[in-house]
Amino acid sequence: MNDQRKGDHAEPTTHFGYKNVPESQKAAKVAEVFHSVAAKYDLMNDVLSGGMHRLWKRFTIELSGVRPGNRVLDIAGGTGDLAAKFSRLVGPTGQVVLADINESMLKVGRDRLLDRGVAGNIEFVQADAEKLPFPDNHFDCVTIAFGLRNVTHKEDALRSMLRVLKPGGRLLVLEFSKPTNAFMSKAYDAYSFAFMPLAGKLITNDAESYRYLAESIRMHPDQETLKAMMVGAGFDRVTYHNMTSGIVALHRGIKP
Amino acid sequence: MLLAGLLASVEHGLNRVLRMDSTALPRLAALEGKVIAIDCRQPSVRLFILPDEEGLMLAAHWEGEVDCTLRAPAGSLVQLALASDKNAVLHSPQVQLHGDSAVLLDLFGVLQDLELDWEYELSRWLGPVPTALLAGHLRLRARWTREGLARFSQNLSEYLAEEARTLVGQREAEAAFRELDSLKLDIERLEARVQRLARSLDTSDNA
Repeated sequence: MNDQRKGDHAEPTTHFGYKNVPESQKAAKVAEVFHSVAAKYDLMNDVLSGGMHRLWKRFTIELSGVRPGNRVLDIAGGTGDLAAKFSRLVGPTGQVVLADINESMLKVGRDRLLDRGVAGNIEFVQADAEKLPFPDNHFDCVTIAFGLRNVTHKEDALRSMLRVLKPGGRLLVLEFSKPTNAFMSKAYDAYSFAFMPLAGKLITNDAESYRYLAESIRMHPDQETLKAMMVGAGFDRVTYHNMTSGIVALHRGIKP
Repeated sequence: MLLAGLLASVEHGLNRVLRMDSTALPRLAALEGKVIAIDCRQPSVRLFILPDEEGLMLAAHWEGEVDCTLRAPAGSLVQLALASDKNAVLHSPQVQLHGDSAVLLDLFGVLQDLELDWEYELSRWLGPVPTALLAGHLRLRARWTREGLARFSQNLSEYLAEEARTLVGQREAEAAFRELDSLKLDIERLEARVQRLARSLDTSDNA
């Protein structure tokens, strides 16, 4: 939705943080960021969110309505926090698919889950959210946590998620959003652009990736825009819940 | 978010405790897939418990189906957690139970039968020899404290009931209650007789 086209013959561009890059380059640039941070991804999440990301994910699980025997797809599943919980909930008769476009993240997630003994009902698939390699009407629940803002064509990804969901199935999008009060917004800006790159430099020796993280959050659609995008993609009964004063929002839509 | 944080901490602690009992987790695995809702009326708090082979998952919201709902004020819930005879508390008028009560009773059974192997946990930190010494000492102290408390409680109740006569003794109270019950029954019988007599007088007047 932020795509820009330069003339008839030029390649369309999209945002990568605050920069505009040709669409064909965004996925590779996002991949570079995640290759760089994959090894210390969990540690950085804890440091940067003060552990809050665990509570945001907990709430996502609570709203998922996942039951034993369900099929769940966790897109951009990263290091497998949500997938591990879903694996417990669906039990041996269910199935969880952890999908991520990034090979390094998927490898870290797979190793981490296997080390924790999470196995048997979980599969790992390297897949692009815009072109999900699964049959139509296949999953009871699809989640994407902190992944949608990195997708080049968000509408295509939402339509792809709708396609693989069963009728009545639910999509949960957990993503950074727009703070709901002015004071929090200012404090959050100062935190994002001063502390986050510094923490990235100190812990992963990579300030740029965390500058991209802060910028990509600002470029991501706000709560109402994302809701409209989900409705536009064909989801029904779309609602969202703001968490931590709107720093993060959980959108939920049902496939009609 | 505050409640979610609190529940996450409680869940973490509770599951650590459950792992200290070798039988608790296999028994909880039998309840996998069940959802128990605890609906506290005063203060108004709703909590969902999902048992599985890894312990208990606690949630402030749950969108799926619930197998059993327990609705009670906070006082009754605390009583339920502490009482050895949970059935007596469950049958009290303030407590409402909907759905499959067997799930709830099974969960209570697991929690009630907990025998924590705290010595194993301690030995992981201190080593076997210091643990054995410390455990022996603690066990001795615990027994001494338990016996001391039991003796103190018995002496106090005997003093209050028999010597100071401040309280009524257990047997005396039971005898008084029996007399009260019998008096209540006598009054009810008398009332029934009076009513019967009044009815028969009414019918003879009409005739």
